[in-house]
Amino acid sequence: MTDLMPPKNPQWWKRSDVKKTFILWIICTAVIGYVGVEFHVRNLVDPASETMSSIISLMRMFTWAAAPVAGLVTAMSLTVLTSKRHYGDNPPAEADHEIRNSPKAAAVWIVISGLLCLFALIGGLVVLEQENEGVLNTQAIQVDVTGQQWLWNFDYANGARSEDLYLPVNKPVVFHITSVDVKHSFWVVQMGIKMDANPGYTTETAVTPNKIGVFDVRCAELCGLLHAYMQTKVHIVSQADYDAWLSAHAAMEAGA
Amino acid sequence: MTTLTQHTSAAPGKSIIEKLNVFTALALGVISAIVVWRLSLALLPQDSEEVRLFSREDKITLLSMCAWFIGFMTGIGALVGPMRWVMGKDLSHDENMFLAGENMGPKRYLRYTTDHKVVGIQYLFITILIFFLGGGLAMLIRTNLGTPEGGWLHAQAYNSIVGTHGILMIVGTIIMVTGPFGNFIMPIMIGARDMAFPRLNALSFWLIVAAAVPLIWGQFIGGITTGWSAYNPLAGQAPLGMDGYIMYICIFAISTMVAGANITTTVVKMRAKGMTWNRTPIFIYGVVASVALALPAFPVFFLSQILSAFDRALDTSFYNTAGGGSGWLYENLFWIMGHPEVYVILIPAVAALMEMAPVFTRRPLFSFNIAVLGIAGISGLSVLVWAHHMYISGWAPLLNAPFMLTTELISIPTGMLFLVLIGTLWRGRIWMTMPLMSIFALLWNFMIGGVTGIYLSDVPADAFLHGSMYVTAHFHYTLMGAGLTGALAALVYWFPKMTGRMFDKTLSWIAFWMVQIGFNVAFVGMFMVGLAGQPRRVESYAPTFSTANLVTTIGAYTIMIGMLVLLHGVITSARNGVKAPKNPWQAKTLEWTVDYPIPLENFDVLPVVTTDPYGYGKAKS
Repeated sequence: MTDLMPPKNPQWWKRSDVKKTFILWIICTAVIGYVGVEFHVRNLVDPASETMSSIISLMRMFTWAAAPVAGLVTAMSLTVLTSKRHYGDNPPAEADHEIRNSPKAAAVWIVISGLLCLFALIGGLVVLEQENEGVLNTQAIQVDVTGQQWLWNFDYANGARSEDLYLPVNKPVVFHITSVDVKHSFWVVQMGIKMDANPGYTTETAVTPNKIGVFDVRCAELCGLLHAYMQTKVHIVSQADYDAWLSAHAAMEAGA
Repeated sequence: MTTLTQHTSAAPGKSIIEKLNVFTALALGVISAIVVWRLSLALLPQDSEEVRLFSREDKITLLSMCAWFIGFMTGIGALVGPMRWVMGKDLSHDENMFLAGENMGPKRYLRYTTDHKVVGIQYLFITILIFFLGGGLAMLIRTNLGTPEGGWLHAQAYNSIVGTHGILMIVGTIIMVTGPFGNFIMPIMIGARDMAFPRLNALSFWLIVAAAVPLIWGQFIGGITTGWSAYNPLAGQAPLGMDGYIMYICIFAISTMVAGANITTTVVKMRAKGMTWNRTPIFIYGVVASVALALPAFPVFFLSQILSAFDRALDTSFYNTAGGGSGWLYENLFWIMGHPEVYVILIPAVAALMEMAPVFTRRPLFSFNIAVLGIAGISGLSVLVWAHHMYISGWAPLLNAPFMLTTELISIPTGMLFLVLIGTLWRGRIWMTMPLMSIFALLWNFMIGGVTGIYLSDVPADAFLHGSMYVTAHFHYTLMGAGLTGALAALVYWFPKMTGRMFDKTLSWIAFWMVQIGFNVAFVGMFMVGLAGQPRRVESYAPTFSTANLVTTIGAYTIMIGMLVLLHGVITSARNGVKAPKNPWQAKTLEWTVDYPIPLENFDVLPVVTTDPYGYGKAKS
């Protein structure tokens, strides 16, 4: 203990509790980073678009960036918890000397959290920029999405209308979203896009599906009684299938 | 509660104040509501054809609720003081002493009592009641979600339970630290005889009681089917229960503003001689930051609901696009209140744990200045981040990047609070008590809440996560995992000062572990379903989410048992716990220098402060 220490303190990094914390820090960082990433990646839906893939890699990146900080807090907590515990109804003896402040530690802490913050910001902005460009793509397929209590309607440029969404694979698509009653939120789950459907306004979002299959569209904003059931499917098909479906559906609408 | 025996010390010329209590208030409130209900039913014209449905019913409901409110507040005696002042004769000394509850016994808890210690206990009682109700509703939600098809609750009942659970818990967590401990402990801690405005203190408490009734009333006229955020235009088409929500928020907002003005003034003006800002305990900073944030936030909340009431009852179009308004206006107003509000909840709870950290490690608080800076930084930034709740609303996509910046900046002052806590624990001789372990629990839970907050602050990730169960799990980690953990520790820590008895140690440990383990199980499960794509506020879900939902339900039941153990601990310890010494934790703040029972004005001689409250250990040689 400190009483037994030689008058000249050893350098701080040679003290046993610092060494212990350092080893724990490495372990905790690795465990938290690994478990954190695996927890997110395994539970997240399988991506069906580049947007969703970049969301997953952003979360992977953020988790690893946060792991050393979380690891340090955990390691220090574990060191404290496993060293000088005191039980009983009366307080333990007071610390031998007080450390009230450490401007150096505070400065390091603040600078590091500032840098991590900057890192998170830049990571987000880069992806955001790519997505914003998608909305302006005039070559893309344009689909009008209309939410109403409690179903979705999709209108295509050639007059086709459906309650299931059909899209060709690997073609950019821009959604123009609105609502006829209350606020809904158009969420194409596996493609990582979501945009509110506001009555009286049209909002836009864009995505490029990159996988053939059937995916989920859900409403993500409480919209009344049957909100939980306001969901439909998005069918991502080949270009040929899409063209066939589209013309058949447009003809059907015209016939009706 | 004991049965009422009317105050019968029939002194001649008994003051009106002595005749009023919660029962006269209830009676007057109910009678006024019934009278106004019958009158408006008879007098209000029928709606014309083009007016929206139920407009007349909304008018009747809102008027009756206003009548209840005015009747109740008159009946409790809130107007006696102002009326006397208008008539030019203020309350006499005897009347003031009666209001303070001098020598009155338990009956003072049922009156408009001005003693801050009585108000503190009243707040504690109503906080426990709110958690009991809100927690019960949470159990109904989790039981319904135990199986994918849900089903045994009707969809409308389910939506209403979700909304009521939300708003009850928001109010419960806002008052859980600043109510009981901010009122009972804070004035003693700063060496004051009472609050700056004792009658406003009583007012702020009874307003919460008055507010509760419209909320319960609303449950019987359609419920609150919109979630706690009550977005328009959904709220515009919601059943009459929505009027209960509107009245509840408006009255509660007044209560918060009144309490905020009172607490801020008390701390600024009434600290003991010698208690400079550097010697003011960190808990005081937390309480002041919390109520000072509420001061600008809650008027906006109040306003947002007044406009909502106008839209419903008077067919205005503040939030109706067809009539020239916008639902985005509501969202902005709501979150301008809503984001500072989460820090209103969090800051005092963290500050309470920062107050306890030196006591249970026998070391000074590490970097007091950084702690103050962190609290100030969070408070300042928190008013600039509201639109991160609206990234995907389509309202202003160009503002997403700046709001992402301000939101992520908050992690810097939040990190400072972590530094202070972990720095205080480091190399401390830790005294293993439930409050001490709560600090570790807070670090763990708040770390998860904080890191998941960074994912959510990121616009592209939020486009996936927004509106999913992931968000629900995230804010439970911050408000419950961090906030409630701090409040429960504060309860155990200050219990001896508030009741004169120690909190049962074994029960505090059992409750702690059940709540913490249950909590982490429940909300890790909720993170999982959120990542897998389950939206919030749904009463049924795809079968693929069923395992994780069942895990969450099991965790939720564990929390419930833990909380019931804690409640049992509160009741048994207050009744027959071990008598507490004056300063059981050997702490150095002023509240531990007064004896139990604490005299009416706390101190015979006002204390003079000469050191800061964290002088543990010898100075470094």
